[in-house]
Amino acid sequence: MLKLSITRASLSVFQTRRLRHIHCSTISCAPTQVKLQTPLFLRPPDHKVTLADLKKWHLWAKNISSLVGSRFLDIDNGPDSTLLHRELDWFIEDAIEQPKSLTEDNYNMSLEVSIRASLDDLYRLWNQRIEERRPFQYIVGCEHWRDLVLCVQEGVLIPRLETELIVDLVENATKRNAELKEGVWADLGTGSGALAIGVGMILGPSGRVIAVDLSPTAVAVASYNVQRYLLQDTITVKQGSWFEPLKDCQLTGIVSNPPYIPSSHISGLQAEVAQHEPRVALDGGADGLDDLLHICNGAASLLKPGGFFAFETNGEEQSQFLANYLTNEAKCFYGVEMTSDFAGIRRFVTGYKKE
Amino acid sequence: MGCSAVRDVIFVTFYFCWVQWERLLSRVEVLSLELNKPDLWDDPVRAGKISREHGSLMGRMKEVKAFERELLEHIDMLKLAQEENDQELETDSLMALLRMRRIVKEKELEALLSGEHDPCSCFIEVQAGAGGTESNDWASIVMLMYKSWAQRRGYGVTVVDEMPGEVAGIKRATIKVDGEYAFGYAKAEVGVHRLVRISPFDSGKRRHTSFAAVAVIPILGEGFSHVQINESDLKIERTRAGGAGGQHVNTTESAVRITHIPTGITAQCQNERSQHQNKSSAMAVLQSRLDQLEMTRLAQMNAQHTQSLTDISWGTQIRSYVLHPYRMVKDLRTNYEVSDPDSVLEGDLDDFILSYLSASLDKDEEN
Ligand SMILES: C[S@@+](CC[C@H](N)C(=O)[O-])C[C@H]1O[C@@H](n2cnc3c(N)ncnc32)[C@H](O)[C@@H]1O
Repeated sequence: MLKLSITRASLSVFQTRRLRHIHCSTISCAPTQVKLQTPLFLRPPDHKVTLADLKKWHLWAKNISSLVGSRFLDIDNGPDSTLLHRELDWFIEDAIEQPKSLTEDNYNMSLEVSIRASLDDLYRLWNQRIEERRPFQYIVGCEHWRDLVLCVQEGVLIPRLETELIVDLVENATKRNAELKEGVWADLGTGSGALAIGVGMILGPSGRVIAVDLSPTAVAVASYNVQRYLLQDTITVKQGSWFEPLKDCQLTGIVSNPPYIPSSHISGLQAEVAQHEPRVALDGGADGLDDLLHICNGAASLLKPGGFFAFETNGEEQSQFLANYLTNEAKCFYGVEMTSDFAGIRRFVTGYKKE
Repeated sequence: MGCSAVRDVIFVTFYFCWVQWERLLSRVEVLSLELNKPDLWDDPVRAGKISREHGSLMGRMKEVKAFERELLEHIDMLKLAQEENDQELETDSLMALLRMRRIVKEKELEALLSGEHDPCSCFIEVQAGAGGTESNDWASIVMLMYKSWAQRRGYGVTVVDEMPGEVAGIKRATIKVDGEYAFGYAKAEVGVHRLVRISPFDSGKRRHTSFAAVAVIPILGEGFSHVQINESDLKIERTRAGGAGGQHVNTTESAVRITHIPTGITAQCQNERSQHQNKSSAMAVLQSRLDQLEMTRLAQMNAQHTQSLTDISWGTQIRSYVLHPYRMVKDLRTNYEVSDPDSVLEGDLDDFILSYLSASLDKDEEN
């Protein structure tokens, strides 16, 4: 296991407005070899442009977004113009100190507006969004997930909206059995740290979560997010493969959203995913089940009696397969259930370790 | 200040006092009768309500009496000052009277907004009538009118849900208006709004009539009782579920629709940046809708209201906006009208709202 060396990252300016209930001083942990990127909304509004120039940029950005029409949607289920326009609004929200100055009636075109990136960068970034299909979340450097704002950057999977529900599943389980709040939980393949942070908040101050990822970038970004939410005392981020960094921990709970896409499907995914997100976060082997099965087997030995697990899967087939596997082959679990996401796809498998 | 102005001040001040006083007296009388009924406490909830209202009105009566005393003192002072030709004293008493008039005006407004839920924030919903693009465009103009109105009043405005029309405008939209008395004022806008104009979408330049329906739902704060919602009664679905989902898809589209199965009431939200927050916004709308449904049910039980829910939530035609062949906005309930539709559409609605509120107060009086 790699020991993280602590450096003081250059992220000294924080904008507390967007941090909501978190208050934050300086973030001071990152592995030396990974360069953390400051998300747009946390950068200082050091650049000045005239309202006229900003409006010109806005018009240009709106236009190239409109020109997309349903082209991306038709090619690979990518975003259409409506979505791109909404993303543009959010981009403005993150990039401009006073986003309203752009939309309010204001006839003083020479008015100076403060922005968090240079005007050139605004052009460059929005061009990347459209021409390169660079994911919106990498462009702004964050993803709003549940009530969190998680920093993300290339090399880390952008947390998906379906995955939010795993936190609800954990919350329901702890409501039924408060003992689940004690002891150690694991988030295997933590990526941005989304699940670890979501679960950490549910568990409260007595909770302990170990977040594991193979990717150094994921480990760095997850640590950063954990600190932003002041959860260092609850969550430990460790680098390594699945259960390996846990040694012989006895776990109260396991959550995981491991790579589950069958290898052959990867190249056909929408450009934002296939061309920009890390393959190690997506590719689950020939039938997509390699990692899920590995994790199920590990859960059989590391989960405490009565311990809870919640896994995300590729949908119907994988859920069916795993539910069957956990109940009938592994034989050491009970209460195995499948739960659908809001699109009605059976997405999650949950259950308990037998006494 | 001349003598007639002084008379004005005194008259107006007295007049408002008198109006309030009469109102107060008759209500207190009714409540006292109720309080003396021997079976009052058979229904403890109602009894509690009556005695609370009685208590608060008695408090108001004391306030008015004190106000009257002060008023008479200032008038005596003024008389004295004029008799003795004391300029300084005269100005002082006049200023005091003017200040009292301002207070009375504020009290009058308070009286207009004395409904139980008036102080709440609210949702305003606009729905386009039949007629496609024409009505959709009109609905978006109406929505814009409320956004500007709310902003002018210093309320917070957030768009919760918006369903665009195919060509232009909106089919439906919901905004949240945050601030004190938002519901008290906005409730005066419930009903159907009618527009007559030469359509910008009609190449034949013909006159068109379009309709938009407005509903206003109070957001009951902490102190109110809420309808209990069972998680198991809810169906939550994505409004646009594209393809395989999960790791396959990276999308910023996370709208959800929540259906309360027992009542069929739905709510949706798509403007937040996470699905979780879209869900909680939609839940807030749903909660308010269910609360309103329950209030309506109770009101019907209590007063044998004959109005159906749809009447209450969408209402009948209340206002007409004519841009052609003449220009006028007229409220069909109060007959209040102005000849400058532009300023109204830019959110200058307060006069319409206040005239409606005072008219309905007078009507309550008659009943
Ligand atoms: C689908 S992503 C999930 C990320 C995050 N939990 C989320 O839901 O947004 C899968 C994660 O598993 C990690 N991963 C892949 N192979 C791994 C391994 N052998 N051990 C630990 N983590 C691994 C990837 O780096 C990636 O971050």
